[in-house]
Amino acid sequence: MPSSWKWAPGAAFEPSRRTVLTSGGLAIGAAALPAWVLEAEAEDASAVDRDALADVALSTARDLGADYADIRITRKREEGIYTREERVQWVERSQTFGFGVRVLVAGAWGFAAGNSVTQGAVRQAVATAVKTAAANAKYIRSAVQLLPAKGVQDMWKSNFTQDPFDVSMDKKIEHLMAINKTAMGVRGVSFVNSSMTWVNEQRFLATTDGSRIDQYLIRGYPSFQATAVDRQKGDFQSRSSLTGPQAMGFEYMQTHDWLGEAERAGEEAVAKLKARPVDPGSYDLVIDPTNLWLTIHESVGHSTELDRALWWEANYAGTSFLTPKETGELRFGSEMVNFIADRTQPTGLATVGYDDEGVPGQSWYLVKDGIFVDWQTTRDLAPLIGRDTSYGCLNAESWEYVAFPRMPNVSLQPGKEDISQDDLVADVKNGILIFGNGSWSIDQQRYNFQFGGQLFYEIRDGKVGNMLRDVTYQSRTTDFWRSCDGLGGEATYHLGGAFNDGKGEPTQVSTVSHGCPVSRFRGVTVLNSAA
Amino acid sequence: MLSESEAKALCQTVLGAVTAQDAEVSVRSRDYANLRFAGNDFLTNGQTSDRWVTVTVWVDRRKAAVTTHETDEASLKAAVARAEDTARVSPVDQEYVPTLGPQDYRPGKSYVAATAEIDVEKRAKTIDGVIGQYEKAEVIGAGFHQAIAESSAIATLNGNFHYERWTLASLSNTARTPDGGSSGFFLRNHNDIRKLDTGRIASKAVEKALTSRNPHTMEAGRYTVILEPQATADLFGSLIYYFDARSAEEGRSAFSKPGSGTRLGEQMFDERVNLYSDPWHPELPGSVRTDEGLPAEKVYLVRNGMLETLVYSRYWAMQRDAEPTPGPVNEILESSGETASVEEMIRSTERGLLLGRFWYIRQVDPRDLTFTGLTRDGVWYIEDGEIRYPVRNFRFNQSVVESLSPDHLLMIGPSERVGNSESQGRSSVLVPALKIANFNFTSQSEAI
Repeated sequence: MPSSWKWAPGAAFEPSRRTVLTSGGLAIGAAALPAWVLEAEAEDASAVDRDALADVALSTARDLGADYADIRITRKREEGIYTREERVQWVERSQTFGFGVRVLVAGAWGFAAGNSVTQGAVRQAVATAVKTAAANAKYIRSAVQLLPAKGVQDMWKSNFTQDPFDVSMDKKIEHLMAINKTAMGVRGVSFVNSSMTWVNEQRFLATTDGSRIDQYLIRGYPSFQATAVDRQKGDFQSRSSLTGPQAMGFEYMQTHDWLGEAERAGEEAVAKLKARPVDPGSYDLVIDPTNLWLTIHESVGHSTELDRALWWEANYAGTSFLTPKETGELRFGSEMVNFIADRTQPTGLATVGYDDEGVPGQSWYLVKDGIFVDWQTTRDLAPLIGRDTSYGCLNAESWEYVAFPRMPNVSLQPGKEDISQDDLVADVKNGILIFGNGSWSIDQQRYNFQFGGQLFYEIRDGKVGNMLRDVTYQSRTTDFWRSCDGLGGEATYHLGGAFNDGKGEPTQVSTVSHGCPVSRFRGVTVLNSAA
Repeated sequence: MLSESEAKALCQTVLGAVTAQDAEVSVRSRDYANLRFAGNDFLTNGQTSDRWVTVTVWVDRRKAAVTTHETDEASLKAAVARAEDTARVSPVDQEYVPTLGPQDYRPGKSYVAATAEIDVEKRAKTIDGVIGQYEKAEVIGAGFHQAIAESSAIATLNGNFHYERWTLASLSNTARTPDGGSSGFFLRNHNDIRKLDTGRIASKAVEKALTSRNPHTMEAGRYTVILEPQATADLFGSLIYYFDARSAEEGRSAFSKPGSGTRLGEQMFDERVNLYSDPWHPELPGSVRTDEGLPAEKVYLVRNGMLETLVYSRYWAMQRDAEPTPGPVNEILESSGETASVEEMIRSTERGLLLGRFWYIRQVDPRDLTFTGLTRDGVWYIEDGEIRYPVRNFRFNQSVVESLSPDHLLMIGPSERVGNSESQGRSSVLVPALKIANFNFTSQSEAI
């Protein structure tokens, strides 16, 4: 077997100049294997010498006059299994493999990509990229200023212990069937869906700074939804799993109590049928991380993207209510509110060793003591606000797309004291406790938002009471975060996340996590969404 | 991009490796060139070539599909083997219909060589001109230029084969005044890049930005509205996808009759309303086969306001002893009565709002096709036949079925080709401006 690009957990890996990547990837090996076997590299799958391709790409770019060039060779595998009740509905598997080259010529960018990973194709793509850059360079109003970066030779793998692509299909289906059986075992539950999606990205980056970086990323999204139907009333309610996608491997099926949650979810779906519809009005909200992460994503994550604030997304996703002149000035939230951006939290979906132009993953404050202080940047964004280092936010969905600024993990820091959900609830006379995600809506400048949820409980005189339904909360970003007056401690911190954040032209998808403690907000407008 | 003979050879390699009882293969390729600009300057760009093959097999009526982007012989054979292994342990496909035998297809008109061979120097000069228009008007512009060539071939174990290709060029742009107080948007696309009037597309966005300055705030509520063709495309642009016969017969679509049956044959809409698909329309050429591989024909879904056709898949047609529907493959919304220009619509309006486009549209109620979303980049108040001033954005909640009914649909314009804005111009429809009564704006939105 040719040496394949595999990572043994915990093993040190010595990079060699001639590391070989097998490309064929879909063959079943010659030996007899059980029917549900996973990927095995074919004996005669064509091998690809990434270093040689990188040499060709970078030297060709230099020869043609590029001041900077990089090449990404990436392979991405995805697997999805979808079930309902006792049936597997479908299994899908896909793999994409290719390369993309980016060049900077006379201050303008050029990019070309192809799925034929050969020296000839790489040479041609570089020429195409240079030609485009040179054509645009004639007309640019200002040259791209690209900050330098140290050349790095490194390998990095994301934080997982059990590679899901080494786990048999039978085992995966067994887990989903057990979840379904547990939920269906609850009286009153009519339907249950469960699924799991696993993604593996193998990223190779070489740049004219001298970087050669190999990264292996694993992430997964198991989830389920239990539904209870009341035929007499013609009503139905669902309760979805709460923990969300993580940068974890198959160990996620052990680290979280899926069966315990499935049983609870069944009971709660049934209970939702009898929950009292909320009376609209102003309430104090105690919000669990399983809901609040999305509010952070929409109102903080997106508003602090510097390219949005510079109107680079104006033709698609929109702009921001923040502009560079507010940096260090604007009161974004109350004094206890601190948002840190990072690409380092171990199970964070945006966590990497290095971004797509060789800048190491790191962390930094976006909002400190409630004041908006900083932005998400890349090597060509940072100079536009007078910075001399990049925070490493460049990312492409896959080989065929140009890399551009994407959101890092953005998280609300827990309080310093060991405060619990009960502690926050104790100081609420008239409020609502909220878990999980429902509907979401926010305008294109990230001002006004409206969020739903999965589970709602009334809070009266410091105690959690009966279940409510049809709750949505509505606010303006800075009003909301300024009304935050209570934060749970580290023990309440949880990382939620999104598997499909869309941005850019053409649209690209990225994954990102948001951590927070349980938190309290005063005087928030609540609507009844069914009214 | 793959030629017909190259695609055919790949299909034959795949089908030659199949041992299952039935199979079908799809071979696609794409050459995609794009250029993004913002802040009155060039931004990123890309030129990508890709190809992918999907093989679907039925082993004892058990189905599985595998997709690969690697088209060497070893990879294709491995994909087939993997599909067959997965099929063997998959559930029986209860809705299996044998793949098609040889079909006759009329050639399409969607491919224009000029679009497929992008000239990056010419494109750079064109965008320079567009940016020049922004600079002259003292606005800040952003936009996206695309030129795409795609091919799609299908083949079945029962002997069918078809290859077609198409091209698309698109330019969308947004102009904002430097104080961020107003914004205008315009988008157009065409199969033929030579028909893309980039100067007009830019000047329309500029004009909308300049005429949206200092907007007034108005109360939410029901208004008479005039939808420019872009707004019609945004809200009504996927209407053809809701005409599925099965859903209607199962009681879960807007075309189901309360009790039982469907609303087929009913005069559900204003008598001027026609909604149809035509693969050979000169302004909106479409695919000449349906997504199930049948040869496409011109199909009327709504004719003179009457629900004429519900769409039968091959499986559902088999169940119902009906003919599978040869479409729709594209969407044309057209008046069979007199049409009016947008200017005439404005002149006829005592009190109303002119809308440039909609954004972030999501379905709220499938029973009457109520959608919610926001206005964006252009709302103007009309009084006594004249535009008085620009207005701030709204959120709406509105049933599209209701809007096309006789009580609500007031005037219709001539149809024109427009791209759908949320798909960034990669899809198109042929739709008119519409004047509609009682359009429901449910709240204000301060974002610009």
